[in-house]
Amino acid sequence: MASHLETELGKLRSIIIKIGGLAESQVAEAVKAVLSEPVLESKEVKKTENKIDKLDVKIDDICQSVFALQQPVASDLRFIISAMQISREIERIGDLSMSIIKLSKSIKEKHELILKFDITDIVRGVEDITVKTNECFLNMDENTIEEIFTLNTDIKSKSSDAIDNIIGEMKNNSKTVVSGTNLIIALKHFERIADHSTNVAESVYFMINAKTIKHEKFTDKK
Amino acid sequence: MHKIESNNVNFYYGENHALRDISLSMKENTVTALIGPSGCGKSTYLRLLNRMNDLIDGTKMTGSIVIDGTDIYGKNTNVDNLRKNVGMVFQKPNPFPKTIFENVAYGLRVNGITDKNEIEERVVTTIEQVALWDEVKDKLKKSAFELSGGQQQRLCIARALAIKPSILLMDEPTSALDPISTSKIEELIYELKNKYTIVIVTHNMQQAGRVSDTTAFFYMGELIEYDKTKTIFTKPAIKQTEDYITGRFG
Repeated sequence: MASHLETELGKLRSIIIKIGGLAESQVAEAVKAVLSEPVLESKEVKKTENKIDKLDVKIDDICQSVFALQQPVASDLRFIISAMQISREIERIGDLSMSIIKLSKSIKEKHELILKFDITDIVRGVEDITVKTNECFLNMDENTIEEIFTLNTDIKSKSSDAIDNIIGEMKNNSKTVVSGTNLIIALKHFERIADHSTNVAESVYFMINAKTIKHEKFTDKK
Repeated sequence: MHKIESNNVNFYYGENHALRDISLSMKENTVTALIGPSGCGKSTYLRLLNRMNDLIDGTKMTGSIVIDGTDIYGKNTNVDNLRKNVGMVFQKPNPFPKTIFENVAYGLRVNGITDKNEIEERVVTTIEQVALWDEVKDKLKKSAFELSGGQQQRLCIARALAIKPSILLMDEPTSALDPISTSKIEELIYELKNKYTIVIVTHNMQQAGRVSDTTAFFYMGELIEYDKTKTIFTKPAIKQTEDYITGRFG
């Protein structure tokens, strides 16, 4: 006889896996949009965004019920707290992906700028981090958490260099200002996606170890 | 149609007006928790559902309680049949001083079932139904008093289920049990609602949250609020309910 609480937790876990998968596909679309690769119709992307929003609300709803009716403790309590945090992060990842997809339409010389400043490497890194985040939740794997933190640091540093280079290019060639500005905003969004993914990893760490590693370097806290 | 419908029920112990105008409907295959402080009338209301209060002298009831479309306080109601349909489990496990097997079989015999095979089959089925079979299958001929409190309570639930009721009333069924036995009974209640309509009186609000679909809050003989359990525990409409469930009562 599976406990009612276990059933609810199982349901929650499945929804998080689902919402994570949807966000992952939105990030992939955002990457394609920036790299001028063929993307899904905007109607499809919007539909996925709506699904993410609905699942986010559903997660909140289940968590509220479990808190009010089941009084979770220990690992169950950590799981519910983390589920609420993770869902918030993933919903933001979805929103940022949508913004990037919209922005990418206004980056006219994007391909040129992208090739010149290794943007492909950065955005593929962000795509990779979202995949790893989902794996991390799925397998409750601490090794993946460390990888995610390393990837995030790497993305931040590369993105910062790329933004400096784009600004330099804009100073030299005023025709690139509009595209360059939008590309900088897109890069900042990608950075935020990597941050949100890292926050998901922090929540997974909390779930496993009952220890908060927010606002600190992973290696300092371990 | 609701499984149980109470309309303007009033109940008196002599001069004491114990229940005031209670109107409450319960759907089939749901668990309804009755909560409220001691003396609020929740157990009195529960006992009205199988006419257990008839056994107390000097009591009077007005209003109607309709189960499966029939007024159970109507002139033509057969109380024995009513109690077969509306089983009851009490606060303290109260097995008969008989063997484990006989505790369940006894009710069947009293109800006219004589076929040994049928009795045996029903005993095994109901003991399995309450998830007790693995624990007692090798000691069915032993006294029920040899079982732990939690096992005895599950045996009492099996005894109630053996005569195939459609409603199960539970009056604080876990208040005398340890947390593990309590959790087993709660899981059992959750499973049983697929087949039965369950009404449970509990002093443990967390338990009401865990097991019930709807919750009724009683206070001083009045039904203060009745709603989905999730609503009662997340956004009750009445301040008195909020004060009670948050422990700020009084």
